[in-house]
Amino acid sequence: MTQEFIIIVALAGFVTLALKSAFIEGQHYFTLPKWFVDALEFVPPAVLCALIIPGIFKGEVGLIAAFGAVPIDPKPIAAAIAALAFFMTKKTIPTLTAGMASLYLVYWLQI
Amino acid sequence: MVPLLPGIIPFGLIAGFTPVSFGYTWLDSWMGSLLMFAGASQLAAYQLMNEDASIWVILLTVAAINLRYVLYSASIAPHLADANRTTRLLAGYGLTDQIYAVCHRDYPIHNWNLNERIAYYTGGTLLLWGLWQACTVVGAFVGQVIPVFWSLEFMIPLTFLALALNTLKTRAHQVAAITGAMVSFAGLELPYNLGLILGGLAGILAGVLFRRVNQ
Repeated sequence: MTQEFIIIVALAGFVTLALKSAFIEGQHYFTLPKWFVDALEFVPPAVLCALIIPGIFKGEVGLIAAFGAVPIDPKPIAAAIAALAFFMTKKTIPTLTAGMASLYLVYWLQI
Repeated sequence: MVPLLPGIIPFGLIAGFTPVSFGYTWLDSWMGSLLMFAGASQLAAYQLMNEDASIWVILLTVAAINLRYVLYSASIAPHLADANRTTRLLAGYGLTDQIYAVCHRDYPIHNWNLNERIAYYTGGTLLLWGLWQACTVVGAFVGQVIPVFWSLEFMIPLTFLALALNTLKTRAHQVAAITGAMVSFAGLELPYNLGLILGGLAGILAGVLFRRVNQ
């Protein structure tokens, strides 16, 4: 555990606590503007989708570190199949299972 | 509360073992659960630290993912207004999607006094907190013995994928999601993971504008 790590996690913890406590602590002092409340609704889809992209299109999975590179990156294909599994089942566990299984499969098909 | 608990077990395990798959120790992994106690943002923070993102991008992303707590806390606040400061701070730390859901549902229909409301909040939160901490630690230990080729770190984007697809309630939400993803993709090569921040902002803006135009 490096010092930098501790600082980042502690600050992230502080930011989280500040947001969680914002109103429980500050309700007598301020109210939320309407545009802010309206915008909040779109934070989860926008931010989560933006966050997925580097995880799918950047970096190498452990498979590649362990067994070597393959011509086609298996991550985007696996993510597409996982998305399909979600639309069919609407459940998290089948989505994760389909994604991991197709990651292994698409890698294995190329070696 | 209890019916909501099983749902957090796989998520807690993932939050525990994916940091380990990046090379963090079980203690590092647990730190996130202890200090942040907010699953999705924990995963995002570890993923970004692993990508050597700047501290500002990490904090901004954590803040963005946790913005929904501002709404929760606004809705819970009137019920806990008369509690003392320590109780309020602990309630803030312990705020989760789950406790918000049950309190939001049950506070208005029961005529509880402050102590009963605090007891209800505390009981549910302690259960959830204990289970979450246990799952992260177990997940982290499991992660230490799982070989790297299992590629478990890929479960982070997959988890976010499932969470994101679950939010696509209306056309406006879909516009926000697609815009966020496309801008983030276009900005993949930008320094400090700025593409991610720009994608998030563009997505929110697109969702708001789409709703405004179509109302």
